[in-house]
Amino acid sequence: MGGSIGAAVVRPTVRRINRTAVATLDGLLASRLAGDVVERLAASPLAARAAHGALQGPLVEALAGDLVRYRVADRLLSEGLVEQTAARVLEGEELERVVQAALESPTVERLIASAIESRLLDQAVVRLLESDDLWLIVDEVASSPAVTTAIAQQSAGFAEQVAGGVRARSRSADAWVEQRARRAFRRPPAPPPGPEAG
Amino acid sequence: MSFAADRAQAVVRPAHAAEAPAPPLTYVGIVTRAIAFAVDAAVIQFVAIAVAGTFALILSVLSPPDKFDGVLLVVGSAAYGLWLVGYFVVFWSATGQTPGNRLFQIRVCRAVDRTAPSAGAALLRFGGLILAALPLFAGFLPILLDDRRRGAHDMIAGTVVVPAPPVEITSRR
Repeated sequence: MGGSIGAAVVRPTVRRINRTAVATLDGLLASRLAGDVVERLAASPLAARAAHGALQGPLVEALAGDLVRYRVADRLLSEGLVEQTAARVLEGEELERVVQAALESPTVERLIASAIESRLLDQAVVRLLESDDLWLIVDEVASSPAVTTAIAQQSAGFAEQVAGGVRARSRSADAWVEQRARRAFRRPPAPPPGPEAG
Repeated sequence: MSFAADRAQAVVRPAHAAEAPAPPLTYVGIVTRAIAFAVDAAVIQFVAIAVAGTFALILSVLSPPDKFDGVLLVVGSAAYGLWLVGYFVVFWSATGQTPGNRLFQIRVCRAVDRTAPSAGAALLRFGGLILAALPLFAGFLPILLDDRRRGAHDMIAGTVVVPAPPVEITSRR
């Protein structure tokens, strides 16, 4: 009986003390003083030493073990983190800037030049030419309807161009021969073309 | 202007008066026609040689008696003559264009209304063509001197040869 009365008195008091402590802590953390203290600590050699010591110690192995144990990577991947990151990188201007800078850098230029001049490329080309797969692809492309249609159109266009040239020259020859013949037979020149009869 | 006068003009005015002006009336000369004829001759001879070669091979296997040689010669000559005449008559009377004419975009047509000649006129023209060629091709000389560039065979059949630009054929979906 006495114990339950004591507990009824003590518990609210403890709760009140806890709330007061938490509120005090929140106020302290929200204060500028706390910010200054944290900044000082982070900039101090003490923090550097602490981090150094932590990284040297078993903390890293423990963290790695926990990462594996709790399948942190799987969880992150399942949440689409990789896709989101890739999309952000591809859509952002950073990638374009990086690629632009890389293309403009003399180092990349030298690398590409050396790659072209290297025997590796020659060997790769030789092996590519020797492979059956390449000729299979070439056959497939050559016999594809798009290519055959294009070749047929090109041939027809060329034939039509040649025929057009022959036609034009033959019409000129018509006029030339007729002019000579009329002159030889002392006939007046041919009349100009008249209007189309209905 | 009165209604009657308006009506009279509307009746007299040709139906195509508002359309684009017609192209000038031209005729095709001797060089173009000769080349087109050479193309036709090549087609005729190529087909004739191919067919004759095929039959010669068949006959070489069958080896008919020698007494049939005369008959085969007559049949072969008749077939060749029929092929030769039929080629020109059919093409001229159907569209006015042989394959050689089509290549050179020219057309044989009646001088009066510019339609394709009838089969009879086409046959007559072919006969005239043979006749024109007999006196050392003198029958073709009028093409050089006639205002409508007509040869003797054209005058006989009442035809002329005119340019025939290709017609665009558009598919309707």
